[in-house]
Amino acid sequence: MYSFDRVRVLVIEDNQPMLEICRTLLLTFGVGEVLTAKNGEEGFKIACKENPDIIIADWMMEPTDGIKMTRRIRNDSLSPNHYVPIILMTGFSEKKRVVQARDAGVTEFLVKPFTARDLYKRIAQIIERPRQFVRSEDFFGPDRRRKADPVFAGPLKRDSDMAAKSAQTTRMKEASLELDKLRRESGLSKTDKIGNLDANKPSDIGFEIDFK
Amino acid sequence: MTETDDHYNMQPRRKAEFYNPPNHLKLKVGIGGLTENILNKAQALLESNTVDFTPLAEMYLDAMMKGIEQARTPDVDLDKETMIGAILFPGMQLKANGGMFHYQLVTQIADRFIQFLEVIETVDHDALEIIIAFHTTLRAIILGRIKGDGGKRGEELMTALVDACHRYFEHKTSSVADNSKYNIPS
Repeated sequence: MYSFDRVRVLVIEDNQPMLEICRTLLLTFGVGEVLTAKNGEEGFKIACKENPDIIIADWMMEPTDGIKMTRRIRNDSLSPNHYVPIILMTGFSEKKRVVQARDAGVTEFLVKPFTARDLYKRIAQIIERPRQFVRSEDFFGPDRRRKADPVFAGPLKRDSDMAAKSAQTTRMKEASLELDKLRRESGLSKTDKIGNLDANKPSDIGFEIDFK
Repeated sequence: MTETDDHYNMQPRRKAEFYNPPNHLKLKVGIGGLTENILNKAQALLESNTVDFTPLAEMYLDAMMKGIEQARTPDVDLDKETMIGAILFPGMQLKANGGMFHYQLVTQIADRFIQFLEVIETVDHDALEIIIAFHTTLRAIILGRIKGDGGKRGEELMTALVDACHRYFEHKTSSVADNSKYNIPS
């Protein structure tokens, strides 16, 4: 079981009741110390002084919001740890807002309202699947690309995925027609197997799908 | 494809360096995750909070009304994004915090409100009518201290607001179509 007793988390939130809720949840998870700040400016100062293990920040705060604070943590020379995981809490869930947060260097995005499990999942993600960091001409922060999963079996969402899927279907159909032709020419029926080949297995019909 | 034709054998124009920082956090917490018992206990604490959301909600509603007033008398220097943002940001706060403090209906309605504000191009008269309807509804829920999802009445309120948004966009689409038919700039 995780032991959070040596972990220090900084929560930056201008809404006092919400700050208390986050504090309570983290202490229930067993977090050793929960530091708090009321805005990004104060949060940055505390981060510099205390060097927490995780930062959880709200987006909308005055005078410094969670996005500006994230940029400072990632890029300011005073920042004690440019790699510290930052979870951004917000009511926004629209894609353009997520992209905006991601481009500032946020590690994880937590949409409010959230459950205890939602918060835990983000923390577990940071622990178990830390993102590599990338430095380019205009960005420093967690790699914004999700890694490709070679055994991904979920729905395909991107246009390029759809094109690959369509190409695969076409090639399977062509392969099946080719087999039918071979059977006809050989005087075999559909139930007869050609050697040990299985027409339903792409590897058996010589059409390993190349998604590149 | 050969092994050397990354980037089509062209020199990458933008350099990027990758780092894998040491996972100190993993070393500190160990393995195994948290137990269901702890997660359930945390969720129970979250659900049993007795925070009075109404003062906070009224603050956000007042901020939203200021944004609405600003949009009613637009300043020439105020760009559309700033104008919409002044209404949208308090709306986002209501969406974010309502559900955390037992006002799920506030979250649901504010969510639809944000979706509306995220796609309108300008705060015109028709849009303002809808924005005011959302504001009035949210205020009524807060003043009436209607917690949870509001039951059947909550559902009806939600449907009425969503229908109004659909009518707004249908009207906009047909206006644009009519204008383009007669070559009138929209």
